[in-house]
Amino acid sequence: MQNEAISVIKLRNTLLVTMPADPDDSTVAALQERTLEAMSQHDVRGLVLDLSKVEILDSYFARTVSETAQMVGLMGGDTIIAGMRPSVAITATELGVTLGKTRTVMTVDRALEIAAQPDKAGKTRR
Amino acid sequence: MNGHPHGEVKITVESDIAVARRAVREVAMQIGFGPTEIARIVTAASELSRNVHKYAGSGVMQWNAIDNGSNGGLELLFEDHGPGIADVNEALREGFTTGGGLGMGLPGAKRLMDEMEIQSAPGQGTKVVVRKWRRQ
Repeated sequence: MQNEAISVIKLRNTLLVTMPADPDDSTVAALQERTLEAMSQHDVRGLVLDLSKVEILDSYFARTVSETAQMVGLMGGDTIIAGMRPSVAITATELGVTLGKTRTVMTVDRALEIAAQPDKAGKTRR
Repeated sequence: MNGHPHGEVKITVESDIAVARRAVREVAMQIGFGPTEIARIVTAASELSRNVHKYAGSGVMQWNAIDNGSNGGLELLFEDHGPGIADVNEALREGFTTGGGLGMGLPGAKRLMDEMEIQSAPGQGTKVVVRKWRRQ
């Protein structure tokens, strides 16, 4: 029915991954693979995961998101989660899911701003 | 209660979890729940239909528009003929899992809904009923 595709685009030194509104399990599982593959293909510093279209975050989806952030970390990248809707934040908290220590911001705009900042750790990339 | 809106979704493959979510979202909207209540109901439906798929392989979700005279609401029934739950109280405990999950399915769904009833015994399958009432 609705758009079920994950969109992955490279914006300067960042990978912008946008999740559809109500992805089924196989689409959620594809998030990990597509993101990590794109990370290794492109020379990027990190990942911005856009959840602004997402209408529900159940335990499976939340676990996949936090695992993906962990994997991106192992590959040397930073993850910023952007745009979670209020209804999704309320529901996920009541359900009991967390996204680990992953950084979250209100909008994709803000996430891209942060991602564009010079690396404070002094890592040299590019 | 005859003639009240109702329907069912068979859960046989993994993608039926998303089909169940969409059916629940649509009927919750029709009943007039607000966006946060809809997110709660749809999330609970997702956890419970995933339990059916994960533990029993297949089953069914039935939904019923309900009315107690002063309030309207939505009732969801999840039924499977899987292995059943040996200790329902334990299954409702935070973090308890036998399926390699996070163990938040049942207790989480209970928190998101207003009412939950579970009927289950080993080898007898599982029946979970949850309800959400519209706030005035």
